[in-house]
Amino acid sequence: MKSIIEMKNVSYRYPVSDDQIIKNASFTIEKGKFTAVVGNNGSGKTTLCNIIRGFIPHFYKGELEGEVIVDGKNIVDYQLGQLGEKIGYVFQNPFIQVSGVKDTVFDEVAYGLENLGVEENEIRDRVKEILKLVKIEHLQDKHPMGLSGGQRQRVALASIIVMNPDILVIDEPTSQLDPIGTEHVFDIIRLMKERGKTIILVEHKMDLIAEYADNLIVLHEGELVLQGPTREVFADPRFGEYNIQYPHVTEVALHLQKNSVKLNYVPILDEELPESIGWTSLEESAHD
Amino acid sequence: MQKNFIQQLHPMTKFFFALFLSAAVLIIPGHLFSFLGFAILLLIAVAAGVVKEFLGTVMKALLFLLVIIFLMQLFFYPGDHVLGQWGIFKWTEEGLNYGLTLSSRILAMGSAFILFFRLTEVRDFVKSLEDAGLPPMGAYVVLSTLQIIPEMRRHANTIMDAQKTRGVETEGSLLIRAKAFIPTLTPLILSSISSTEERAITLESRAFSAPTKKTSLHKLTKSTADRILPFVYITILVGLILWRILT
Repeated sequence: MKSIIEMKNVSYRYPVSDDQIIKNASFTIEKGKFTAVVGNNGSGKTTLCNIIRGFIPHFYKGELEGEVIVDGKNIVDYQLGQLGEKIGYVFQNPFIQVSGVKDTVFDEVAYGLENLGVEENEIRDRVKEILKLVKIEHLQDKHPMGLSGGQRQRVALASIIVMNPDILVIDEPTSQLDPIGTEHVFDIIRLMKERGKTIILVEHKMDLIAEYADNLIVLHEGELVLQGPTREVFADPRFGEYNIQYPHVTEVALHLQKNSVKLNYVPILDEELPESIGWTSLEESAHD
Repeated sequence: MQKNFIQQLHPMTKFFFALFLSAAVLIIPGHLFSFLGFAILLLIAVAAGVVKEFLGTVMKALLFLLVIIFLMQLFFYPGDHVLGQWGIFKWTEEGLNYGLTLSSRILAMGSAFILFFRLTEVRDFVKSLEDAGLPPMGAYVVLSTLQIIPEMRRHANTIMDAQKTRGVETEGSLLIRAKAFIPTLTPLILSSISSTEERAITLESRAFSAPTKKTSLHKLTKSTADRILPFVYITILVGLILWRILT
């Protein structure tokens, strides 16, 4: 499959920092794939997102080494405005993702399309569709500044996906959401993937990553330490060395393995547990 | 909310009226017309249904200033016709006239712009400026600045609450409140500076600098009155200027 983002030996240091935040990272993201980026706090996940989106080096200066190729073109050769059409970026903090110039959620979601010069009727249709999709129709007349964190997070997501970018970079979109809201956001992300979008997601909720992500990138203190298909990365014994949470089912299975239970394979989804430890069904386990 | 005829006027029509009234009170000598100008503004405010808010803002924003200006001119403007004396202070006819003229003009001009902002939503005004050629960046700066003020106030309260939870005394006499307020300024200003950077990135994430012509869902229309009134203002102003030159 065609690669859409390629990083070659990328290192980055912020202007006021002595240390490199990203150290010699190389990876390729294929078009239409869902890639999750995981790592502990301070491991460089958000910086990586900023590099992919082009805010580094276009906005944040500092020292960027290596090459970042987006859709066949080096990121430094893009204008920041061009990247806005190609890559949508949902920030970690929803409180800063409000434009500050719109009085209603409807207008806030429409703002990106206005900037892209989309025709008026099309803007209205697309905004209505996205508000429905993200389930925030009831908020459309509210002032964006008056929303709760969870509501703002949904508005931020809607404001980006309405622009229909080819690539979506989403940084912890569910940090302010309850479990039902979180599941719903993942449903939307899955839908975006079905529509052929390339998704790069930073998240800490490993159960959902295991369920949805095609590939996983693991960052540790700025270094890209593991990468590959989600299942393979979670099953890699080195994953446990970085003190990152496993999916719950994986953690249970690995605990059983430590206690002499033989694993057929490392499960990452709840329903895989019985089979992975050799039970053909839950009834059998009850008899045992 | 249903807007009445005056509120429905194009922002520029209302803005030009504020400019027109300000120019007129400067052209016409004395204080009577300036007070009449304020009376006209009051009538417009009544007709537009905003008289209570209008008067409230005028009192808060102008009253203290006007009293000070009037008293300063009354007592310190040079003049020979002494009307009265109190201790070392004496007031003259010239001082009274000049004090009345200056304060009435400031009242009329200040009130004209207060009424303008009472009758016009900021986003409508900014849109009209954009339609008149203001670049999107300028429009954004004006709009976001006005919207950020309540946000900063909320932020200042949050910082005060955070300090309160750490045992800083924030309630009581004016001095205590002032002492509590000063330490909030540093985090407030620093966070505002950093949020400027974040807001710039937010704008970029919404394709603010996309190399295309922007569309706008918010449109302003001009009625017949909007087309006629500016000419009426200009005609009256030209008439007033000629009258001043010829008399």
